[in-house]
Amino acid sequence: MSLGAGEIPQARPVSKVVRDFSAVVVLALVALGAGLALNHFSSQQMPLVYQTPEQRLDAQLNSLISTPPFKVTPAATVGLPEFRAAVEAKNALILDARPSFFFQQGHVPGALNLARDNFAADYRALEPTLKTQLDRPVFVYCSGGACHDSKLVANALLSLGFANVSVYTGGWDEWSAQGLPVATGRAS
Amino acid sequence: MNRTTLEKGLLIAGSLVIAAVFAYAGFNKITDPSDFADNIFGFAILPPALINLLALALPPFELGLATLLLIPYSRRIGALAAMLLTLIFCAVLLSALLRGLTLDCGCFGVGAPSRARMWVELGLDIVLLGSASLVYWRSLV
Repeated sequence: MSLGAGEIPQARPVSKVVRDFSAVVVLALVALGAGLALNHFSSQQMPLVYQTPEQRLDAQLNSLISTPPFKVTPAATVGLPEFRAAVEAKNALILDARPSFFFQQGHVPGALNLARDNFAADYRALEPTLKTQLDRPVFVYCSGGACHDSKLVANALLSLGFANVSVYTGGWDEWSAQGLPVATGRAS
Repeated sequence: MNRTTLEKGLLIAGSLVIAAVFAYAGFNKITDPSDFADNIFGFAILPPALINLLALALPPFELGLATLLLIPYSRRIGALAAMLLTLIFCAVLLSALLRGLTLDCGCFGVGAPSRARMWVELGLDIVLLGSASLVYWRSLV
């Protein structure tokens, strides 16, 4: 078929699709470059090879003390009645292992934020308080039954010399669902 | 309103909705790539060497395709990118569900691991896949 004067030749659908796929590949490469650049200038730079939360906590723990490779062993657990009694009696150290954003949105009254994802920095900030309470019962919680952060933090504390560390497995989900007192902000 | 105008209107509305969904998802992930990398790890599909690269590249890719969908000249490319991405999301989510995994897929930010939510997200991905395919097809012909 010949084109008339002034007509612009239209690309065939197949060649359009091929061109579109090429454009998507270019978009993917640009996105990868942008992601790497953002990471390079980020204050919380990620390594290029993935590390599990356990490996990341192990690295943070090693910046505090020299320890054998970090291993998660089953920590003692407590339910709501025992945890609630400890909170009300104010005779235990309550630690919230969730990221600070969630801690500030709401936490158990009297709890301190020792976030798994910022363990070394949080530990250093709390060290003066924590070091005086090595023999007190310590309860660690995170979001709820499915979360892993409280177990990781509990094991890290055992490595750091705390003797009596338990995980409150119900976590924030159970505590808040029961309508129990909550505190907000950086620390209560 | 004639049929062509209605079709054009629907095409633009569809593109806007898909762009909004991907822009929201991209912004949510770009703020904490480390958490998103943990979500990807949970699917047990990729080797460690590729997980962080994907966690870094996917949010800008989603934001990029959302931008392309908003520009009439590049809408077709944005729609194709959305189609391919949602197709991969569907396959990965379905594979995790069939393997009995309970995960937080990290698709739209951090949440609690839940199989019910995984099914909902699979449904949303299927709707997105259908919409993106329609936008692409209508922009192509």
